[in-house]
Amino acid sequence: MSDDIEAFFVALPARGRALLPPRVRGTLRVDLVTHDSTRHWYVDLRAPGRVLVNRDVRAADAVLTTTPAVFARLVRGESPATAVLLRNEATLVGDARLILAFRRYFPQPHGTGDPREGAQRRAPHGQAWRERLRARTG
Amino acid sequence: MRKSINILDGNTFLVCDDRGDVDPSPSVPTGLFSYDTRFLSTWRLSVNGERLHALSVDDIRYFESRFFLVPGEPTHYVDATVSVIRDRSIGGSFTENLAVLNHTDEETTLTVRVDMASDFADIFEIKNPQGKKAPVQAIVEEGQLRLRYRRDSFHRETVISSSAPARVDPEGMTFEVRVPPQSEWQTRLHVRTLVLGAHERDFRDSLELRQARSPAELDEQLRQWTAAAPRLKCDSPSITTAYRRSLVDLAALRYTSITMAEELVAAGLPWFMTVFGRDSIFTCLQALPFTPQLVPATLGTLAYGQGSRLDDFRDEEPGKILHELRYGESAGFEEQPHSPYYGAADTTPLFVILLDEYERWTGDSAVVRAYEFEARAALDWIDNYGDLLGTGYIWYETRNRDNGLVNHCWKDSPDSICYRDGRLPPFPRATCEQQGYAYDAKIRGARLARLFWNDPAYADRLEREAADLKARFNEDFWIADGEYYALALDAEGGQVDALSSNIGHLLWSGIVEESRAGRIAELLLSDRLFSGWGVRTLATDCARYNPLGYHVGTVWPFDNSIIAWGLWRYGYRREAATICQAVFDAADYFQGRLPEAFAGYPRARTTYPVEYPTACSPQAWSAGTPLLLLRVILGLQPHDEHLIIDPALPPGLGRLELLDIPGRWGRIDALGRSRTATDGIPPGSGG
Repeated sequence: MSDDIEAFFVALPARGRALLPPRVRGTLRVDLVTHDSTRHWYVDLRAPGRVLVNRDVRAADAVLTTTPAVFARLVRGESPATAVLLRNEATLVGDARLILAFRRYFPQPHGTGDPREGAQRRAPHGQAWRERLRARTG
Repeated sequence: MRKSINILDGNTFLVCDDRGDVDPSPSVPTGLFSYDTRFLSTWRLSVNGERLHALSVDDIRYFESRFFLVPGEPTHYVDATVSVIRDRSIGGSFTENLAVLNHTDEETTLTVRVDMASDFADIFEIKNPQGKKAPVQAIVEEGQLRLRYRRDSFHRETVISSSAPARVDPEGMTFEVRVPPQSEWQTRLHVRTLVLGAHERDFRDSLELRQARSPAELDEQLRQWTAAAPRLKCDSPSITTAYRRSLVDLAALRYTSITMAEELVAAGLPWFMTVFGRDSIFTCLQALPFTPQLVPATLGTLAYGQGSRLDDFRDEEPGKILHELRYGESAGFEEQPHSPYYGAADTTPLFVILLDEYERWTGDSAVVRAYEFEARAALDWIDNYGDLLGTGYIWYETRNRDNGLVNHCWKDSPDSICYRDGRLPPFPRATCEQQGYAYDAKIRGARLARLFWNDPAYADRLEREAADLKARFNEDFWIADGEYYALALDAEGGQVDALSSNIGHLLWSGIVEESRAGRIAELLLSDRLFSGWGVRTLATDCARYNPLGYHVGTVWPFDNSIIAWGLWRYGYRREAATICQAVFDAADYFQGRLPEAFAGYPRARTTYPVEYPTACSPQAWSAGTPLLLLRVILGLQPHDEHLIIDPALPPGLGRLELLDIPGRWGRIDALGRSRTATDGIPPGSGG
């Protein structure tokens, strides 16, 4: 569980800002609380083209507080961050826009396929149509 | 059924009967609501064990009402010795000033009782009643009653306090009062609705969102809101009333976006008091010449909620703009998909359209640059996930078979998309108006790319794609023997051949070939579609036509405003004016407040517009309708730094002046005068 979380944060600098709108700037701290300790992850999204991650306990523009178990669900794509916040399994203090932007780093639910593949399989006319289009434009 | 009285402040609202009471109902949305949760389901006043009877109700403001009551049944009150005044307001929380008046010359002793309870129902549980997952606790505290609902970490509380001493029990408060002769007793009941988050604090405190506002503050904000909008001077009382009503209703529906901490508009009371992508965008488009300040928070909320991954339960895809966001228990526990739900195929192109239209009016290029990332992702969505079948059109089919929507267009009820003979087409479906929106989004996206994103190559590509889409659309959707556009294409590429109001949206988008626009205008105003109060959703010669069918025969004011805008675009000013006049006439029967929809009966048959049974009211895009109709009849269109004013008023309307229209030009006045009823506007002319 904590391996998934660690892997998620450690990979962020390499993933970079390509998933984020360029205007989004700020700092986000994730506090993961267990019965006897709190682990912190500090994500700095202020510099253009760069994501910095460390374990600092510093003031941030937004602070997301939850448990390692709930955060692991987010990094595995099992629940969306918005639902977790709505049912109060995680709480947010500060600028809500940062967590909504940060949500773009979370993956889709495991095993989700491309909806186009299924639809095109079930509606075979699309293939004939595409061929006709190609003939028209070619 | 008793008349229901509503007061509201954004997404906090109270629905009660004409006595001011709320009787518990599992399936009717009565009570006090906030953030999609019912915080009071019982609020019932009695004096000496007797319920009260309404003498009159005063709807003072949208956030304030006053009830004048007497104990007992009407036959008793002729010489009432006691009367009651309930004076209440909503401004984040709910306050009731309760007064009991003694009209005799002797002191009287009375037992005043208010029954109080909450079922903490989620708005979706009221649509489909079901048991709660956890019990409600009633906690008696010093001078107050606390009602608590906890399911795991999900925590809602209603806290009710009284200024006068009360005997508090788990089911309400009792007051033993002694009222001197010709005098009165009073208490102030205060009801707070708490959405508890971190450290048991209300989440609005953690996010520094403003909540409680006094009636005086609300009054001042309403005054400022109205003063900022253009002033209307008009010979027609029905237009003047509708205009004023629209501005007030839009003010009433404003609430603070959690994302943006700024105000945007909820879609409609009581079912839709939240962000809907489609409704929010259309309302902003309608109101842009009047209240452009609503647009940035709407764009921002939708941009930050943009889909970023594939999620079948939520019909989410990267780049897609949301359909509906809910804050209640069923969304939180993922029993309903609204966290947010993305089951709409039109919101994504509409987002780009609004972004462009906003800049055209305001010149606010900072917003266009700020949301370039999301706008490009939206334009990409049209060509990838939007085009499910890879045929160059937007198609939809829900992947959530349990509680996803079957139709991802504005006509989202199950039977709305049908063949002329009544059959329902298989999925996926490609409705015609969505292709129009895609075309318009590409044209507008090209303008934004060229002027603001410094990407002329992308602009060229979008324009080529738009031209190609228009050519293909006019071939694939045109029904040659009927001479109109099909409502949709089915999964086999066949035409879904019902004649519908959707063809009017095509005019608005500009996807209609010039040579065909006259035929479309003619059909829209024909007896098959035009009822006399507006254009019906579905033509009378279609098998599923029903004058009371939600999307298969009723007349929607919002739909008509877009159709009128479309007729204006192609120069059919007389036809546009006919629709505008019809809808303004209808508004007159609703004291200026257009409902969501009214029945499609011919005007000559009913002589007045029959309201659809469970229509939402006020509803944002119905409130926006008179605004867009005014834009259409005055012929307002931004052009570079100027506002073009080219009025074509309905005959007999007289004089119409709209003063201080805000925009990139500063403020400007538009004046129009109708021709006499006899000479009218030549058909298809610019008026």
